Amino acid sequence: MAEPRSDGRLPLTILGGFLGAGKSTWLRHQLHDGRFVRHHVLVNEAAETPVDNLLLAGVGRITVLAGGCACCTGLPALLAALRGICDEASGRDAGRVAGILLETSGLADPGRIAAAIAGDPVLTRRLAVAQVLVLVDSLHGASQLTTEPLARAQIEAADALVLTKPVQADPETLARLALTLRQINPAAALSAAEQGVPGPLPPQDGLRPLDLPPLAAREPILPHRLEVGNGGWVALSTWLSALIQARGDDIVRIKGVVRTPAGRLLLQSVRRVVQPPEILPDDNTALAGPPPEEGVIVLIGRFMDADRLARSWRRFGA
Amino acid sequence: MCSACGFPAAPGHWTDAGAQTPGDRLRLRFARLDAVNRLLAPYGLKAWDDGATPGLQLFAPGGQRELVPDLAALLDAAGRMAGQPIDPLSDRALADG
Repeated sequence: MAEPRSDGRLPLTILGGFLGAGKSTWLRHQLHDGRFVRHHVLVNEAAETPVDNLLLAGVGRITVLAGGCACCTGLPALLAALRGICDEASGRDAGRVAGILLETSGLADPGRIAAAIAGDPVLTRRLAVAQVLVLVDSLHGASQLTTEPLARAQIEAADALVLTKPVQADPETLARLALTLRQINPAAALSAAEQGVPGPLPPQDGLRPLDLPPLAAREPILPHRLEVGNGGWVALSTWLSALIQARGDDIVRIKGVVRTPAGRLLLQSVRRVVQPPEILPDDNTALAGPPPEEGVIVLIGRFMDADRLARSWRRFGA
Repeated sequence: MCSACGFPAAPGHWTDAGAQTPGDRLRLRFARLDAVNRLLAPYGLKAWDDGATPGLQLFAPGGQRELVPDLAALLDAAGRMAGQPIDPLSDRALADG
């Protein structure tokens, strides 16, 4: 993929996009297609319980940074990890690492990460940001742009924008979203990809971009961890259904690994859309990165607090 | 899907993922009814599933009733009957008593 640079710096590709945009799915297909194969993949998740790495079995080198979004609280950890990779790439693994791919958390502003790398005295000499790729969800992108300043910041920071899940989206809305993205970031290359496979963009003739209202300051989106134990799949799924139904606009993401009679399920939601749960193999060695923590789910959103979540779960779930 | 009544409209609800055998599925259906009724209780509503009729039945104290295809539709209908969403984090759901 990335050519070796004459100055010896490692190319760094930043993969960004709002929560649930499909970053891991996209990356999984690129790895399958043989792109980024000699890259060291660095996965950052804002929550303390990583699950994204579970989707990335098959990658050669992977480091997971969990428990802090890399553009704010997790920034020191990210910089330390990048320095470690740089050291390895010029020492033990010399010549074997072609570059670094950073999959950011959905809450990260790639622009701030790029700025922090540029400001680090070591990394600025060892790394070069090759590309900032930002994925935009075709289904939820329009509403995220309307309500989330972060979604706009991510798009503004991109070198290339990829519209994900285009097949499920209405062609006209998708075309208007594409025009809106061009308006926000005219310099970025724009494409579409379904499950990581490139596809066509719908015709945009005669359409106009979406009307975006000015953004007011809103409640910040925070991750919350909830221990739900094992065995209570029915109570858990019912309780989560009600939560998503009532608060789909405020709970932007739910993830976790839960034990059920059918096996271990990887649970993921984006607003009101729950992905069909993926059954994970029981053998942890078949998964990339650290084994998942069973019986813990992470809820990312606003207007929730850990205490209320725990009380509600005790009352309706346990 | 039944060509006479159009049920079920979708290939299952995501919450069905926890069961793979027919026995597990039926057990899951009854266990879910319990969980649903705990959530509905603060709103004075009750759900019923006899295991044979497809979908779930929802009852309001005034005698209003509705047959719904799945959990998402049930929560939707319950929210309409209660006049507010069935929110497990709300003060009403968490009130004592």
